[in-house]
Amino acid sequence: METAFGITGKGYVLIASDTTAVHSIVKVKTDVDKIKELSPFLLMATSGEPGDTVQFAEYIERNIRLYHIRNNFPLRPPSAASWIRRSLADSLRSRKPYSVNLLLGGYDVSTYKPHLYWMDYLGTLAEVPFAAHGYGSYFTLSLLDKYHDPEATVEEGLATLKRCIDEVSKRLVVSPDRFKVKIVDKDGVREIEV
Amino acid sequence: MPDGSFSHPQERQFNPYTENGGTILAIAGADFSVVAGDTRQSEGYSIQTRYAPKVFRLTDRAVLAVNGFAADGNMFVKKVKQRLEWYRHAHAKDMPLRAIARLIQTMLYAQRFFPYYVYNILGGIEEDGTGAVYSFDPVGSYEREACRAAGAAQALVQPFLDNQIYFKNQQAPVGSSHPVHLPLQDVLSIVIDSFTSATERHIEVGDGLEIYVIVAKGRSPQGLESIRNVQELSTNPEGDRVFVIRRELKKD
Amino acid sequence: MNTLVQRFSTTGPAAEIRKAKEVLGEEDDVVDVMGFGNLASGVPKFSIPGVPDPSAFLKMHTDDFADPSCRIKIKHGTTTLAFRFKGGVIVAVDSRATAGSYIASGTVKKVIEINPYLLGTMAGGAADCQYWETYLGIQCRLHELRNRERISVAAASKYLSNLVYSYKGMGLSMGTMICGWDKTGPAVYYVDSDGTRLKGDVFSVGSGSTFAYGVLDQGYHWDLSDEEAQELGRRSIYAAGHRDAFSGNTINLYHVKEDGWKFIGNYDVSKMHYDGPDGRGGYGYDLRVEGKSSANPPSSA
Repeated sequence: METAFGITGKGYVLIASDTTAVHSIVKVKTDVDKIKELSPFLLMATSGEPGDTVQFAEYIERNIRLYHIRNNFPLRPPSAASWIRRSLADSLRSRKPYSVNLLLGGYDVSTYKPHLYWMDYLGTLAEVPFAAHGYGSYFTLSLLDKYHDPEATVEEGLATLKRCIDEVSKRLVVSPDRFKVKIVDKDGVREIEV
Repeated sequence: MPDGSFSHPQERQFNPYTENGGTILAIAGADFSVVAGDTRQSEGYSIQTRYAPKVFRLTDRAVLAVNGFAADGNMFVKKVKQRLEWYRHAHAKDMPLRAIARLIQTMLYAQRFFPYYVYNILGGIEEDGTGAVYSFDPVGSYEREACRAAGAAQALVQPFLDNQIYFKNQQAPVGSSHPVHLPLQDVLSIVIDSFTSATERHIEVGDGLEIYVIVAKGRSPQGLESIRNVQELSTNPEGDRVFVIRRELKKD
Repeated sequence: MNTLVQRFSTTGPAAEIRKAKEVLGEEDDVVDVMGFGNLASGVPKFSIPGVPDPSAFLKMHTDDFADPSCRIKIKHGTTTLAFRFKGGVIVAVDSRATAGSYIASGTVKKVIEINPYLLGTMAGGAADCQYWETYLGIQCRLHELRNRERISVAAASKYLSNLVYSYKGMGLSMGTMICGWDKTGPAVYYVDSDGTRLKGDVFSVGSGSTFAYGVLDQGYHWDLSDEEAQELGRRSIYAAGHRDAFSGNTINLYHVKEDGWKFIGNYDVSKMHYDGPDGRGGYGYDLRVEGKSSANPPSSA
């Protein structure tokens, strides 16, 4: 089952997502990267309707890039979140809406603040200290209520993220076997091995 | 059939239930218990009668209020009374309140697969002389509480009771605390206010109000005798005593 | 043997009474069914509606999940948990009962004290759990009287499991944990109305169970101290009360040890959020992280 988490820490956002592509009862691929690097300081994890996820993510990615080229500065995380939300909301009211849920993580280099946004296909947007999509959220939100620390170091943040992954692996019926984890901080975006 | 009325398959459903409106409530005091119900009986938007009692004296220390489907309710009260009479014949005494509560559970649960559509509230005096209220769901799960409202206006009345009886969301003045039990006069005012207010805001509540008061043996009825329209129903003024107070409610 | 012959004979006094009853339309079950006093001899009888499919009839009128407008709302929504550890068994539950979105009660006792050594938890139909676990208590007492020995948790749970299984498909709804201490030590069994019966160390049942598991699994290990174990049970139910709309109000906490169960306390979920069990710091996230910031400005700034 599709699951994605995001947590903030001292100067960073961590985003984790499962890596399986499913069709019917078959796992078609087990190393899919569902976390798009939108810009040097923006990460976006998508889940939902196959096809829509990738199409929408690429559309967002190209437009964020276009904004950067036109203006010579990137869109900051709060503005990017607002624009993505509006894109989803417009799409919802079109003939063929995108069914995409997403987590957006970004680091604002001018305020030194990490931002994490939770968004669903209806255009619901919330900025949160930690977030989850899919069935995994039922197990991990209570866990994060207890363990999440906004001032955690990357090591501590990864340990908390590992708790989430372990819990989902232990309790979710069809648990994803592998997670990809990416981080965004003052040094930009990169993947982290767990 | 000549008119072709049976030429098509027709779906039939067995629906032996209806909802007859009205509201009941009960509040336990330290050494008394109050059980009340309005007397309107309705179905849909029509009033069937303005006087159909929902509260019944079972013994000198137990009163049962029944709400929901009136036919089931009346049948159920009849059967409970019958069982209590058998108990009286077998044991030469009235059944204790907590035993009546358990009896009601088993009688309701016996209908688990064809339930009585009734919400019961039992009020009265325990063997230790304390006031008690027991509330039941239609299939017999029950619990002893200090107060409970049920029926059409439950969602209007219960929050008011929570605030006035349990003092929910109220801060006691500095240096004092909320009382555990209220005096009878205060409880009666709360009961009357609950029903006048429910009558104002709920179409299925109104017409008349019957308030049963059960006072523990040897305890003062706290000025109950001087209240307007009060009637004593007890068989033995030396034991636990039952009174009923009747009031009018708006009839529109 | 005599009674058996009497029961089925077509002549004699018993048969006459039976015939008289038939004429009067009096049901046998009036005497047999109601009241546990007469149950010891056998399993109680229930009246069944005279329709082709009684359980479909029951479902039509009571299943508020399938049809929210149905008349008889049976209370649902719960979080319960029980786990085994070095120091015995911890049982923790919430106290909320909901009918649709209305909170029908915030003071429900979801731990059923079967006897001084056995506890049962309540999830699903409140009446089903209350009635059958009381009934189980009677059977456990009879076992003691017959065998001069307390019933094992395994046997008690098996009795309940077999009993509810005999009603399978009739619409009973229960998800319960039978907890206790017997010759084998602390024991927890999960029993539900499907007929599932599982022995295990950690169980949580109800709409808020996933949230409780999240906290419980991460804090659980066998060598917990008594205080740590009680805190874990309490904290896990709080988590569920906080995240699951159908759970909340208060927490009831029990601890089963070798000499039977002990009631530890009743805790208000809101009070746990703001003050915690001892008034020294609540469980609430906002309180815990108050004043903390994820901003990471350069140290020179």
